[in-house]
Amino acid sequence: MPGADKEADLTERIEAFLADLKRGGCGTGPIRGSGETARETTALLRKVTAQARWSSAGDLMEIIRKEGRRMTAAQPSETTVGNMVLRVLKIIREEYARSRGSSEETDQQESLHKLLTSGGLSEENFRQHFVHLKANVIEAINELLTELDGTTDNIAMQALEHIHSNEVIMTVGRSRTVEAFLKDAARKRKFHVIVAECAPFCQGHEMATNLSKTGIETTVIADAAIFAVMSRVNKVIIGTQTVLANGGLRAVNGTHTVALAARHHSTPLIVCAPMFKLSPQFPNEEDTFHKFVSPHEVLPFTEGEILSKVNVHCPVFDYVPPELITLFISNIGGNAPSYIYRLMSELYHPEDHDL
Amino acid sequence: MSSRGGKQKKGNVTSEQEEEEQPLQAVLVADSFNRRFFPISKDQPRALLPLGNVAMIDYTLEFLTSTGVQETFVFCCWMSNKIKDHLLKSKWCRPTSPNVVHIITSDLYRSLGDVLRDVDAKNLVRNDFILVYGDVVSNIDVSQALQEHRHRRKVDKNISVMTMVFKESSPGHKSRCEEDDVIVAMDSKSKRVLHYQKTQGLKKLQFPMNIFQHGSDEFEVRHDLLDCHISICSPQVAELFTDNFDYQTRSDFVRGILVNEEILGNQIHLYVTQDGYGARVSNLQMYDSVSSDMVRRWVYPLTPEANFTDQQGQGCTHSRHNVYRGAEVSLGQGSQMEENVLIGRDTSIGANCRISNSVIGNNCTIGDNVVLDRAYMWNNVHISSNVEIHQSVVCDGAVVKEAVRLNKQCVLAYNVVIGPNLSLPEGTVVSMHHPEEEEEDDDDEFLSDDQEVGHSKDKTRQKAFNPAEVGPEGKGYIWKASMDDTEDEELAQCLWGLVLNPDPESDSESEASEESQDHSRSVSPEIDDVNAFQLEVLGTLQRGLEENIVCDNLVLEINSLKYAYNITLKEVMQILTRVVLEYPFQQQGTQLTTLQYTGSLLPLLKTWSPVFKNYIKRPQDHLDCLSAVEELFLEQDTHQTAMVKVLMKMYQLEILEEEAILKWFSTGATNDKSRQLRKNQGLQKFIKWLEEAEDESSEEGE
Repeated sequence: MPGADKEADLTERIEAFLADLKRGGCGTGPIRGSGETARETTALLRKVTAQARWSSAGDLMEIIRKEGRRMTAAQPSETTVGNMVLRVLKIIREEYARSRGSSEETDQQESLHKLLTSGGLSEENFRQHFVHLKANVIEAINELLTELDGTTDNIAMQALEHIHSNEVIMTVGRSRTVEAFLKDAARKRKFHVIVAECAPFCQGHEMATNLSKTGIETTVIADAAIFAVMSRVNKVIIGTQTVLANGGLRAVNGTHTVALAARHHSTPLIVCAPMFKLSPQFPNEEDTFHKFVSPHEVLPFTEGEILSKVNVHCPVFDYVPPELITLFISNIGGNAPSYIYRLMSELYHPEDHDL
Repeated sequence: MSSRGGKQKKGNVTSEQEEEEQPLQAVLVADSFNRRFFPISKDQPRALLPLGNVAMIDYTLEFLTSTGVQETFVFCCWMSNKIKDHLLKSKWCRPTSPNVVHIITSDLYRSLGDVLRDVDAKNLVRNDFILVYGDVVSNIDVSQALQEHRHRRKVDKNISVMTMVFKESSPGHKSRCEEDDVIVAMDSKSKRVLHYQKTQGLKKLQFPMNIFQHGSDEFEVRHDLLDCHISICSPQVAELFTDNFDYQTRSDFVRGILVNEEILGNQIHLYVTQDGYGARVSNLQMYDSVSSDMVRRWVYPLTPEANFTDQQGQGCTHSRHNVYRGAEVSLGQGSQMEENVLIGRDTSIGANCRISNSVIGNNCTIGDNVVLDRAYMWNNVHISSNVEIHQSVVCDGAVVKEAVRLNKQCVLAYNVVIGPNLSLPEGTVVSMHHPEEEEEDDDDEFLSDDQEVGHSKDKTRQKAFNPAEVGPEGKGYIWKASMDDTEDEELAQCLWGLVLNPDPESDSESEASEESQDHSRSVSPEIDDVNAFQLEVLGTLQRGLEENIVCDNLVLEINSLKYAYNITLKEVMQILTRVVLEYPFQQQGTQLTTLQYTGSLLPLLKTWSPVFKNYIKRPQDHLDCLSAVEELFLEQDTHQTAMVKVLMKMYQLEILEEEAILKWFSTGATNDKSRQLRKNQGLQKFIKWLEEAEDESSEEGE
């Protein structure tokens, strides 16, 4: 039975992905970049759409939701996965609406009045069967994949608008997006980059090596020197793990220090974040917000006796409040933190926010 | 199913290996073959005991799966059905699992050796495999070690048979199991193990000289290693176990390989890692430290909230100070979870409790004003109000009534009831099984968890519970009546490991460094065998004394040892004499007075005289024996006065003949010291007496 075989293959793929997520990140953050995670999630969801048994959009959404819940539960700190699930759900809604012939616009522009009177789009509405829905949804997911492929380039393209000659730029840790951004700017302009090393994982070292390889003048500083050096810095450009719904960041440890120092010296703080990092999460969800990894990097296991006398923690993320951020640069352009709510409603359907 | 191997492979493992097509296999031994966890493991096999509310075997399987193992053979013996049921229900046996688990059960396994012999007999492994116990908790990425292992095997064909994974951790680390403390000499460059010795209880360490004379100019003697009990083995390991039917454990194997290195040409290597975590839960002390390491996230990503076993409802949340809460946990007013606390689902906790460094299972009820510190409570435990528990294990279904205090290192086994108003002294073990059932089973010499359960059942004559021990409403038998009962003391030590005496370790360590420094001392290489032989003889005699073995059997044993270590008859005698004469020092310390020494030695000589007589027959033997005596007393010069008494006794027991003594006395002196010795007054008198006696006897003869 080829159908059953396919399904087994699908579940196996999903299990493998889940296991990977669970084991992902032995300290230095995920093994792969979040861009890759996003692509993989989307590709997997496309496979689900193509291979699972469903007859109407409602069924499909239910399946995607179920898988999505498991995927997000596997590694709560990896919000990209959840974001992609929401994006796919939104795609299904749109395609369904288009198949029914109603305009997508009506769906999006929800006034308070509408919310109150309509009682929400009941699931009943998704029961209708359309022949082309599957093909359309898959087509739309493919478009999403193409968009994901291009995000880093899209962001890097904007570099020249933000980085000027002979500027001193500070960054913290390692972000693939920021790296591409700076490299792109370096093709035309000369500037100096200061990288905070970001202890205890010291991803900053790798970042600095990569930058200096392309001929950018690079200095690595200890995290403690961030404030002291800030007065010389013209701009702070950082990456992030997640952009939260309030416009704040969940970024690698040490980012908050940088942001506060930048605020003190009135240095602009620019965040390079592709749209897939935008999460409907708010920073008060304590359970999933933090990620504590093995304290090995802080106090090595080899230390011996002292370990039984002290508690060692090794948190990975910082929360940076939106007030400290000047500008977000995403693949669709620059936005202020206060505008995030709007992007949020464009990207995700409000009913999907909690899976 | 193993055919779908390739998909799961980890990038770095797969580099340029042509054998890579073969799936990586693992052998998981889900039996400890000892009774460390005893009254607890009577009801539940060790591999299924919960650690952080997850069965230990799940950690091991997760570890194997995450390193890319695609086929695991789980060998169970004791309570194999329970393990089987558990595995069949778990995610490892789902069809989608990347790691195919085969369960092999047999009641005949008595040791690791038996399991590996079975592996060989059934021809299960085709390639290098990972060998672990079912109670190993680890997140070490062994792919690096695996790669090194494969590389070595490729470079020099099949010489390296095993790579042991060790974690660096300095002495005094709480996660070091003192029973497993090892000292390892290894070649720094090739990472080859030259010498491997357990240090537990040893005050002195001895290294064979030849390891220092080996070709390599750099080597390390290390005592900062924690044995993770993870080994990467070649298929030959199983064959070697078959060939050497006396190998029981891995250390037997390692010793065997090292001793026979020249003959068989096999080598063992070491992989020392600094990252990751790996430890074996070999006793309750280790259970305590591994649990707390896990709650403190050392084993990340195997953390409680990760729910890696993928079971419904097992998830929990992690918040500050490493507090983990399962679903539906209720916490009374004023209760504090201070730090490093894991609480399973559906557990309710009363008011004003203070909980720190503890793990509480599912469905537990805890009353008001309870203090828990380093308490490990499994599922369905009921704790009443005003209870205090410190560093103890409370198993499934146990009930602790009002105002009970459990002091350190108590164990309440399954379904025990304690209290009310009682304080259990330190190290109390309470079980529903009567200790006497246990004693009757003691004839099982293999010390396996494997027990005849059936025959304990027919002894249904319930003995009354002692209310003084377990409280007025208590149910259960104390397993450790008093401290003076040596056997029970041993039991407690077994459960909690040897934590109480950290001193010997530091001693042996300094010894070790000392030894390693003066390795330039010129000692002939065979000294190793002689020393080993001496130790063995000592052990044999000791056992003979303890178990009242007939001297004929001792002789037999010493003879077989003689062949095993290739010792000449002359050496046997010298060593035997030496061992016997040193025996009182060995047993009672070196600070004995001469009087005490002779007092304890003379009866020994009498007991063992048949052994001596067996070896001392020719006149030359007598002289050799005497020179050994002389040598010893030259070393122990404070006890020289005892020498006469010894010689006298040996003469009386007809071990030594007078001619031999006289001859030795007149001719044996070779240097100043021995001449000095002969001037000893007592000795002179003795000789004189002997001479007279001889005269008399010769006169009589005429």
